[in-house]
Amino acid sequence: MMQRVRTQPFLRLATGALAVASFALIFLMLLFLLAYAYPAIRFNGIGFLTSLTWNIGNQYASGTVTRGGFTGQVGASFGALVFICGTVLSSFLAMIAAVPFSLLVAIAIVYRVPPFLKPLTNAVVELMAGVPSVIYGLWGMIVLVPFIGNKLSPSGNGNGLLAATIILALMVVPIMVATTRDVVQAQSTAIYEASMALGSTSWQAVTRAVLPSVRNGIAGSVLLAFGRALGETMAVLMVCGAAINTLPQSIFSPINTIAAVIVSQLESALTDASGMAQRSLGELALALFLITLIVNGVARVILRGGDRTSMVA
Amino acid sequence: MRKPVAALFIAIFLVTAPALAATRLLETGSSLLYPLMNLWVAAYQAHHGDVEITTQSTGSGTGISQAIAGVAQIGASDAYMPDAKMHDTPMLNIPLAISAQQVNYNIPGLSGHLNLSGPVLAAIYSGQITYWDDPRIKEINHELGRELPHATIVPIHRSDGSGDTFIFSQYLSKSTPAWSSGAGYGTTISWPAVATAVGAQGNAGMVQTCSATRYCIAYIGISYINETDHAGLGYAALENRDGRFVLPTTTTISAAAHELDAQTPPDERISLIFAPGEDSYPIINYEYAIVKPDQPDAATRDALKAFLDWALSPDGGQMASFLDQVHFLPLPEGVSRLSRGQVARIH
Amino acid sequence: MSARAISRLSSHLWWGVSIGALGVIIAVLLAIFVFVFAHGVAALRPQLFTTVTTGIAGGLENAIAGTLLLVSIGIVLAAIVGIGTALWVVEYAPVWAARAVRYMIDVLAGVPSIVVGYFLYVALVEGLGWGFSLIAGAFSLAIFVLPYVERAADIALTSVPTHLREGSVALGARQAVTIFSIDLPYAMPGILTGLLVAVGIGLGETAPLIYTAGWSNYMPTLAPTHSPVGYLTYVVWTYISQPFAASHALAYAAATLLMLFVFATNLFARSFVEYRYNRGRR
Repeated sequence: MMQRVRTQPFLRLATGALAVASFALIFLMLLFLLAYAYPAIRFNGIGFLTSLTWNIGNQYASGTVTRGGFTGQVGASFGALVFICGTVLSSFLAMIAAVPFSLLVAIAIVYRVPPFLKPLTNAVVELMAGVPSVIYGLWGMIVLVPFIGNKLSPSGNGNGLLAATIILALMVVPIMVATTRDVVQAQSTAIYEASMALGSTSWQAVTRAVLPSVRNGIAGSVLLAFGRALGETMAVLMVCGAAINTLPQSIFSPINTIAAVIVSQLESALTDASGMAQRSLGELALALFLITLIVNGVARVILRGGDRTSMVA
Repeated sequence: MRKPVAALFIAIFLVTAPALAATRLLETGSSLLYPLMNLWVAAYQAHHGDVEITTQSTGSGTGISQAIAGVAQIGASDAYMPDAKMHDTPMLNIPLAISAQQVNYNIPGLSGHLNLSGPVLAAIYSGQITYWDDPRIKEINHELGRELPHATIVPIHRSDGSGDTFIFSQYLSKSTPAWSSGAGYGTTISWPAVATAVGAQGNAGMVQTCSATRYCIAYIGISYINETDHAGLGYAALENRDGRFVLPTTTTISAAAHELDAQTPPDERISLIFAPGEDSYPIINYEYAIVKPDQPDAATRDALKAFLDWALSPDGGQMASFLDQVHFLPLPEGVSRLSRGQVARIH
Repeated sequence: MSARAISRLSSHLWWGVSIGALGVIIAVLLAIFVFVFAHGVAALRPQLFTTVTTGIAGGLENAIAGTLLLVSIGIVLAAIVGIGTALWVVEYAPVWAARAVRYMIDVLAGVPSIVVGYFLYVALVEGLGWGFSLIAGAFSLAIFVLPYVERAADIALTSVPTHLREGSVALGARQAVTIFSIDLPYAMPGILTGLLVAVGIGLGETAPLIYTAGWSNYMPTLAPTHSPVGYLTYVVWTYISQPFAASHALAYAAATLLMLFVFATNLFARSFVEYRYNRGRR
């Protein structure tokens, strides 16, 4: 650090201020959402997490109800359980499909794709990660949902858990492939070669020696992808069926996710003269924020900041 | 790298700069009124180049709230504003035309119009009737009843705040006491838990979802009747207050309007749902422009008043050449006078 | 068959499965690509670029201009904050502070875009009363792409060889001079790659814009507040759920343009990476 000898205070202060701003952004968002949602947190109480009923109340009734010191419309009830379940269930099922698939693709790229084709396969993976969310949604709406509705679903309805799961899986696969590929690539070839020397087949060397040695990196990238799926909005909104007040009973049932509800219910919430519906959406945003913060925070700790090379995650 | 970026900014500025000159009005809200607004705006702008009117199909809930917030000058709504909102922020609720709503279904192979009643629709939307061949549906469909399949009904409702939800749920509330004391009515209601129920965005989304979903049922504005026909969706004859099943036609809609228009109060906030009269179609409503009485500047105010006056004029927006295309009816003389009186109050 | 032969056979089979999985990925990308382009190319008419959206169809001039404006301003904001942060982290920060800032920025990359959008809606659109506006939309994109910009700049600046810096310092250059004449030029390809990746991400965003930029049928006015702005992803989302053939055609045209923009920026970004890689080897 010998360049500290002659520092330029202006540049140091200016960049320092920007760094502090970057650092503080998450806390600022968190505090702001917390302050905004506070009346809803008091009004809804534990019912926010346990109730199935999302009801902004009767706009045309006279009078208001007061709970926890704050008022909402008559009949208001803001239970997020349906949306929390839909979010976690669709993301979890998507990960079950995407994780083994992504590992297969990643090791194929590292160990089986000839070097001259690697730029091409890498480009495909990164392009897939770059396809905008609405385009996955468009494809889901026009191709996937009618297919499920006409060929698979007993009720004729294709919007729902299955469609959302498939779309989410498609969206997280390229992210997981890119991150696990980097992790496996970074592992030294010594482990692979040692295992081969001990008489393993190449498949055994990869699955029994290489992959276990990078399981932290893989766990981290799985969590990163999970976090991504939890917060995905547009594509899910376009195929989920916008369920309300009811938990999914089968893979074909319509569902709803926290992110999709924040988009689809904001305009309804704006009609609530008491403002409690809007604040309850704020509480939903806060809940999604906290869930993804925990998932990402843990993922980044596992990855120990060592993996800062991937462009897509 | 810097030069192309600067050039881009300059280019965009040059293209957009002339647009600064015109007065801009934003209309947003009801997707039921949206097709008519598009016809109106296209015709109006042909003669009024100095005004730019953006139309948006966002749902009546957004229409009302953005008009209140001053983001939009015209909030389009199929529903009049509730008292609580009017108390906080008094707004003008100006009817522009009379509209109706169809109840559509997607049952492949079924020809003719099903009969449906408020109580049967309420039972479908609350999950008490789950199959199309339910005895309660057959009971009111002597002819078609035998053709009804044993298929799960998929009830589709609006997921956005919507005047269509308002008038549909008001029909259910007025015809079915159990619905009235349960979900009730509003631009957004808390739909009863039905595992197969699907939400859709806007009237257009209702058409799209319903045509992609066999054995669904949906409520869709009459202005989309060309699209619902094109998508092969059937529409039902609905039971009115006198117990007769009527299709939405010019005759039945104007019969219902005729029963109630004389009762329209000066602020014009009134429900036309479930009107008496043996020919009356039960789901009709005024299409409202929700407007702030005090406008921020003179140019916006004058442009807004001129457009609304044109829309209400018999030689302008009320001409059959516009309204027939979307199957709306013009305002009766007395109501039209009240509406023009409200426009005059914009200052 | 011997146990060894069986395990060799199963090794071959599994490798087959894994290459098959790679094939599936390529097929899915191709399928989406073909699906969008097959519908969209027919709808790409010259008038799309010279007319604005009206009612159920019209053109895309307003959406293209709006997307370019939102992304340009968003990227400029993200570049200022992101590159500035990276400079501080690499050049000035104590180790613990660098680690803390990097960690928070990595975590920020995982914050759902709708949360960013909702936060800005409440804070700027409603809170400060800016209404749906260019600046609120640009802010939402800037926050969302900031982590990608910072990370790319951070990696690029970290990779500047120490001997270059030490040489500069030894010649008596002030640190600011070293930064502007040695570090930034050396790191520029990496920084530009990050900015291009960020452009690609910004182009495809929808959720945060719905509640910050709003939507407008008209050309953006450059007024920073109180004037909603159109963008391409909104056209894809709303026009595909209209029941009109003309609306669908417009949605596909917008989707095709988006895919072209995004793919072009991605491939451009990759070519920077290859360039840097080749230069490093030379």
